[in-house]
Amino acid sequence: MALLELNDITKFFGKLAAVEDIDLKVEKGEVLGIVGPNGSGKTTLINLISGYYKPTRGDIYFNGQKISGLRPDQIARLGIVRTFQSNVLFEGASVIESMMISSRLQYKTAEWQAFFNTRTYKDEQEKVVGNLLETLQLLDIFNETFRPAAALSHGYQRMLGIAAALAANPSVLMLDEPTTGMNHEEAMFVVENIKKINQRGITVLLIEHNMKVLLGVATRVVVLSFGNKIADGDPYEMMSKPEVIEAYLGTETV
Amino acid sequence: MIIGRLYIDQKSVVPKVVIGVVIALLAIVPLFTTSMVTLSTLISSGIWAVAVMGFILILRTGQFSMGQAAFMAIGGYVSAILTLNLGLSYYWLSFLASGVISGLIAFAIGLIVLRAGGTSFSIITIAFGEIVRIVALNWEDLTHGAAGILVKPPPPINIGNFEINFSLSLVPFYYFMILLVVASALFYWQIDRIRIGGTFRSVAANPVLAEHLGVHLMKYRVIAFTIAGVFTGFAGAYYVTFISVINPLIFDLWKSIQIMMMAIVGGPSLIVGGAIIGSTVLYSLGNYLSQLPVPNVQYVVFGAVVVLVLLFLPKGTGLVDLWGKFWRKVFREPEEYEIPGEFADDEEE
Repeated sequence: MALLELNDITKFFGKLAAVEDIDLKVEKGEVLGIVGPNGSGKTTLINLISGYYKPTRGDIYFNGQKISGLRPDQIARLGIVRTFQSNVLFEGASVIESMMISSRLQYKTAEWQAFFNTRTYKDEQEKVVGNLLETLQLLDIFNETFRPAAALSHGYQRMLGIAAALAANPSVLMLDEPTTGMNHEEAMFVVENIKKINQRGITVLLIEHNMKVLLGVATRVVVLSFGNKIADGDPYEMMSKPEVIEAYLGTETV
Repeated sequence: MIIGRLYIDQKSVVPKVVIGVVIALLAIVPLFTTSMVTLSTLISSGIWAVAVMGFILILRTGQFSMGQAAFMAIGGYVSAILTLNLGLSYYWLSFLASGVISGLIAFAIGLIVLRAGGTSFSIITIAFGEIVRIVALNWEDLTHGAAGILVKPPPPINIGNFEINFSLSLVPFYYFMILLVVASALFYWQIDRIRIGGTFRSVAANPVLAEHLGVHLMKYRVIAFTIAGVFTGFAGAYYVTFISVINPLIFDLWKSIQIMMMAIVGGPSLIVGGAIIGSTVLYSLGNYLSQLPVPNVQYVVFGAVVVLVLLFLPKGTGLVDLWGKFWRKVFREPEEYEIPGEFADDEEE
């Protein structure tokens, strides 16, 4: 059984189908790239999985449990966490504060234990903060720990978005174009980090425009065009398929 | 939306020494003066401060409640009606009930009205305040309508040979006010700095992101609203005991606005400090101005004060931030690399 399963997912905005009849299986441990031209429904797909939108038709299953119709926080609790393209900061927070806010789901102790600062809570907190610092180290933004998040460079802010998502303890991480607005070097930095995250056993769903990033990290690629899935398979094979090239570049005229 | 600087390490700005000195100074005030004016100003300021803390807690979750006085009214009526019907010996039980019932009502109302966040929420809370006032005015069997209920002071407490008698002077009222403020302050302060405080802030700072990181927005909004309801209920019950009467006019819309103004002037960035400074400054000012021969001049001045504070401290940090600036300047504490809140404890150990 696949880890995450989308059956005939359709989402209409008014009369426009943003995604239509998409079947998708995500296997545990893979890095699945989702590509497609602008407006092909990539972000809508992630919004549907994360519960931000409710599908018009179709069901989404995670570990055999139906998750379509749940709220985003419930889905995050189950272990599917996403990042946003632009909406990444808690205004006014420093890096470590953002991380601590995002780490709610790592705690098992109750709120009253935190209130009375019990031994169990202190121990757990120590462990969680350790995890957070380790995550910052993993993603190479440890040096920024105490800086205000808003003062970070664009690349580091995106990385903080990913770190915050990791703080919520995901088993599936969905990244919405993590390299937009980055130069080649920064994008390769992101690729390295995605690899590191994947090595920890976290399944990654990656929306991406940058072919170099995709070919560098994705183990499988799904191509969307006008809300439909037009191809699914090995990244290098996909990139040479005529229908994929057509979707991206238009019909060959030579 | 005025939220203020969201993440301030309260410890670095208001150290324990300062808090200790302030409490000690307040505790010896009755030794130097038993003047009615001084004591009653301080008592009222303290009680309003408790209500303002509730307002700031709700503001932490990004909601602007404009009906907080209604919860004072509920607390006041519950304690007044219970002592009237059960007898004065049940005063302290009625006092407890006022907070509990006010909290329950806040929970029930919160479940409904917090679905509509933002501006709609503010408007609905104004309506809620009016509903409470109109119910109090018209449910004559219970609330005695416009005439209101006379509230007797709590019965004397005997500890050995020492008698604490509330009907002889304001001093017992004063000390019990300090007790109430310190208890609420400790509760709010702790709530604000532990992880649920961070969650409240995240709900305000970026609801969409917070929700996708596993925060049930509605749940935390309702929790904040309910906590505020409980303590505001206590404040209301104690206030009506202090002024010894409750009627529908005491907690009207103006009082809700006054709570809001106190929070803005004091500064919502520190939940306790802001509330206490805001309520003391505005209440003392109002008290002084209402003695002037110009009728209602305090409303004009209040408005001017709020405008001035917003003009010169536009980030919504209020007067309390002036204190923070002063403290950091004097002791040169680094502003930026401070480890926030509870994490600081772990570093020291």
